[in-house]
Amino acid sequence: MKSPHSGRRGPYLLLSALLLLGGCSMNQLVVRSSMGLMEQSIRAMHRETDLELARAAMPANLKMLEGMIAADPGNARLQLYAAEGYYGYSFAFVERSDPQRAAGLYARCRDYAAGALERTGFTHDLTDTPLRELESALQQAGAAQVPALFWTASCWAKHIDLNRDDPRSIARLGRAAALMQRVLELDPDYYHGGPHLFFGVYYGSRPPMLGGDPGRAQEHFSAARAVSGGRMLLGEVLQAEFLDRQRMDREAFHERLSGVLNTAVADDPAPLAFANQVARERARWLLTQEDAWF
Amino acid sequence: MVLMNRTRSLRTKALPMYSQKASLYPSSRCSACAGRDPVPGSRGLSNDGGMLDPGLRRDDGLLMKLMTAMLVLFLAMTTANSVQAADHTLKFATLAPPGSTWMNLLEDWGREVERRSEGRLELKFYPGGVQGDEPDVLRKIRYRQLDGAAFTGYGIGSIHSPARVLEFPFLFDSYEEIDHVRTELMPEIEAGFRDNGYELLGWMEVGFVYFFSQQRIEDFEDLKERRIWLWQGDPLGQAMFAAGDLAPVPLSITDVYTSLSTGLIDTVYCTPLAAIALQWHTRLDYMSRLPMANGIGALVVARRFFDQLPPDLQQLLRETGAEASRELIRATREDNATSLEVLREEGMEFVMPPESLDRDALLEMRDQAAAQLTEDSYIPRSLYERTRELLTEYRSAPAEGTTATHSAHD
Repeated sequence: MKSPHSGRRGPYLLLSALLLLGGCSMNQLVVRSSMGLMEQSIRAMHRETDLELARAAMPANLKMLEGMIAADPGNARLQLYAAEGYYGYSFAFVERSDPQRAAGLYARCRDYAAGALERTGFTHDLTDTPLRELESALQQAGAAQVPALFWTASCWAKHIDLNRDDPRSIARLGRAAALMQRVLELDPDYYHGGPHLFFGVYYGSRPPMLGGDPGRAQEHFSAARAVSGGRMLLGEVLQAEFLDRQRMDREAFHERLSGVLNTAVADDPAPLAFANQVARERARWLLTQEDAWF
Repeated sequence: MVLMNRTRSLRTKALPMYSQKASLYPSSRCSACAGRDPVPGSRGLSNDGGMLDPGLRRDDGLLMKLMTAMLVLFLAMTTANSVQAADHTLKFATLAPPGSTWMNLLEDWGREVERRSEGRLELKFYPGGVQGDEPDVLRKIRYRQLDGAAFTGYGIGSIHSPARVLEFPFLFDSYEEIDHVRTELMPEIEAGFRDNGYELLGWMEVGFVYFFSQQRIEDFEDLKERRIWLWQGDPLGQAMFAAGDLAPVPLSITDVYTSLSTGLIDTVYCTPLAAIALQWHTRLDYMSRLPMANGIGALVVARRFFDQLPPDLQQLLRETGAEASRELIRATREDNATSLEVLREEGMEFVMPPESLDRDALLEMRDQAAAQLTEDSYIPRSLYERTRELLTEYRSAPAEGTTATHSAHD
């Protein structure tokens, strides 16, 4: 006797065979079918203007992302979303109150991004490959590898920054910079001019004697400003926090940060709404440090 | 980037390394030193809760609560006032970046001074070279824009050059010898700083200086083929290079990294920690194992600031400066030991072991440089001779459980 469903067994078998051939598990299928939803949720976070709401919501979203990564470990896009999320969460909500915890979160961020980079076919060991060999290997990296390079470098540099008392950590700064240098060559406008902001801080946060270069820092901050048409406020905040402070230019520091606070939230481009609110909050805190620093 | 690692800043004091022999070379023993656990201890302010709690337990009435609230408010106000109303603010500059080992220890020092002076004296730090390099800072101290600073030998040379006898190349064999001679010479050196308008609050070190090169260097002769950087305006380095018959390329320290990339220079001298902190190590492949000199540093304050302080605060600055100095020296030695391991991990090849070199030639070079510098009065001959005598005495004294790290410089 035929089962009522036997006539449909053919397509099921075909589907199973395809799944097996594609190496996809049911979990991976579910994850991949939810990607659109996750991307919408990330977009909503970029547009969030209420920092309290964001602070409360981000950990749950990050854990959801990690669950999805566990189900689909080869999914580089998910790993990059996790890297971006951990970076944003640490920068906005953890770094100032608990630097040690932030360092741990930045390490997690770096590892997700490095995992994604490996998925793109860049298999050189980032810490063990001699730096000059790494630099020449990076010359082979292409546009498709920009996001993974960008987040690996950003998170790594942050982790190093929060471990400035550890020579082993400091020794690797050149590696993070080499990754970002390649991003700068491939796509300097990536992430609202993020590579320029990286080098603005890189050259602006140290005295010339220790490798700083105020002129180059200024050029990078200006280039980043040009990319966003001056609407990415984080660039202004970072310039005040690092370059203006390093130059002991109190007036510029004060004016730049006051300028950030005087911009209207309503005028923020939607994709920058959250980042700009974080920038305003950081500007407010930086202004409370003015007397101590100058 | 300005954020401190608070857990590090509040870190407890680690064991001093003074009584122990510290190797100048990478070794498993050094790795153990670097990872030594700090001794727990607390510097927290005493808590007023203990005073208030028993009363609350006896009488939990409204009046008591109100009085407690008022007392808390009063304490909060007086504390806030005392923070704002420091009688003296010592503006202190350093090249050490925020969050670095040095800066964390300097901040510990600042907190200790504020705590023990009950807020009468505060230290306002300008870290990361925001006040410029050492000549800039010296000028700003003269113009009263700053009151004190942490200097390296470069800056110390402009204040009281004889102190640089303590970083004379090929003179000291171990940290113990340095510590011994420094202790003996300290009264003399302090007086020298005072005569030049500065109070020396504490001594520091940047560590032993080595050659780093892009080319393999097997012996001193190989150095003659190299394009070696000389820190522009450093008489001590200049005298050494002249005595060694080396023709260096004088450059500002800020140009070194770029010049290593363009090929203007291919060899530099610095400490392992500096090679990493300045990222020079990324452009260098070989490190000579010959330790040349132990770079010095100092915590100083202008006398015009120091002299106007009441005696108890002068004493406090001296005492806490000495404590900070001990911690700074210990941490620097530890960081340099770690840095040697890191350099090895990063692929640096260690060449030119001291035992392979012609020791007599090195000492002859040193003596020639000394002759030049004493003739120029950069370092007085009498002080140089006395340093040699102290070393001879120390070396002939019965050993105190220490072993030489390498052959003694005679």
